[in-house]
Amino acid sequence: MNNKAIVIGGSAGSFKIVMQIISLLPKDFNIPIFICLHRLRSARKGFTETLKVKSSIKIVEPNDNEIIEPNKIYVAPANYHMYIIDGKIRLSVEEEINHSRPSIDVTFYSAAEYYKENLLGIILSGANNDGANGFLKIKENGGKTIAQLPSDCEISVMPLSCIENKSADKILTINDIIKNIIIFISLNI
Amino acid sequence: MLKLSRLLIIYFMFITNNKKINGKKKKNYERINIKIVILFVNCLKMDIANEEIKEFINIVVSLSTYDFSEYSEKSLRRRLEKIVNDNNCSLTEIIKKIKKNSDFLEKIVRDITVNTTEIFRDPKVWREIEKEVIPKLKKLEKINIWHAGCSSGQELYSMLMFLNEFDLLEKTSSFGTDINSEILEEAKKGQFKYRFNAEYLPNFDQVLNYNPEKEKVPYSKYMFISQQHDTIKINPQLLSKVEFYKHDLVCDKNIFGIKFDLIMCRNVLIYFNNNLQNKIFDLFWSCLTDEGTLIIGFHESIMGPAAIKYIKKGQCYFKKPLNNNA
Repeated sequence: MNNKAIVIGGSAGSFKIVMQIISLLPKDFNIPIFICLHRLRSARKGFTETLKVKSSIKIVEPNDNEIIEPNKIYVAPANYHMYIIDGKIRLSVEEEINHSRPSIDVTFYSAAEYYKENLLGIILSGANNDGANGFLKIKENGGKTIAQLPSDCEISVMPLSCIENKSADKILTINDIIKNIIIFISLNI
Repeated sequence: MLKLSRLLIIYFMFITNNKKINGKKKKNYERINIKIVILFVNCLKMDIANEEIKEFINIVVSLSTYDFSEYSEKSLRRRLEKIVNDNNCSLTEIIKKIKKNSDFLEKIVRDITVNTTEIFRDPKVWREIEKEVIPKLKKLEKINIWHAGCSSGQELYSMLMFLNEFDLLEKTSSFGTDINSEILEEAKKGQFKYRFNAEYLPNFDQVLNYNPEKEKVPYSKYMFISQQHDTIKINPQLLSKVEFYKHDLVCDKNIFGIKFDLIMCRNVLIYFNNNLQNKIFDLFWSCLTDEGTLIIGFHESIMGPAAIKYIKKGQCYFKKPLNNNA
């Protein structure tokens, strides 16, 4: 059986929020968390390093074929799609999807197929609709979905497109999203 | 099942939308309905059954030398989904066409392969090559290099520029191979679109011009860049130093009959399953000289049984010769 996991997608205006979420995570969250954020292609370094400063949690840009471990945060490396299969992380440099590499849809889709109903998907501030199809997939597979409250976002296109396709279970402020994450982590599914 | 659940969700959306028109949001109604139609079309388009993929693999194996059976299942599925969408027909129809037309089969194989490369991709790796590999190459009388899965050749040409900076180009022979014959034609010409490659030019400086005390290497030493014509042309001198061949890593083995001092294979094996990856790491091992080095992608690593045959130092993997385990 697959354990549970959290997958987070975001683009413009989501970096600070991700840092906030990470800094408020309990020490032993005991599940894997996958983060797929769009970023500039040239900004390859410094991203995970900045995240690491904020917490003592293990944050990695995984290698291809890496076995997923709990209590670890996996950030899609710049310029690679990141997807999950058979308890492992695989990478790809296929064409951009929705003008993005990494594409949030790719990560969401595969996580939805692997973790099914034991997945919590979160979509944050961003400027295109990458992630909306993947969000629908999470919902179809029985997972839970939370979109950031559009009025709370720096750029609201991304959560709005998930709200429009009716894939968001809840639409919440950041504080409430963090509460939900902590509840999700502590619940025994 | 999947299709059914998708249709149910769409149906549900339809009902909730209809409720809305009784209220106010008529404009919204139209917009959302268009979205529903798009979703509906998508859900009819997207699904490819596992059996269809298996049939595709079997047909291709029976008709050609290509074998996709050990490709990573998910990525093969994504490629086929893209092909199905681009051709606007089902995979079954594509299989039918493949049976009739061998040119079409070649085209589909080309479409499955991923072509991504850049000038001096991952500058950090090049700095490690400078530190770990260049001293070894300096000792050799002759240098043989193989870039497996070279795509349009930018990285192989980068390697030749790099070697020239250490006065090693003279004694170097290099080979680039790829499964995609069309992309190799592009590589042979050594001419690339400026607009697709311009963003990687800073890599050149990060690799060749990081030391401010050294004289700056200008782009023009190796490349003729014309923004106006949208071209980056590789210096013809470099073109003459490399040979390109069509080669399928999955079944063609070592076609050269020589051993290599340096093999590059970057972001190719990420599309294969573990078993096939291991076979290819073994193949590279047998193609390397005892002092040879393998360079793989920045986010790749050698795992499984082949791992003990290499010694890792940073991003470089050195061959560990047999009978040297003591």
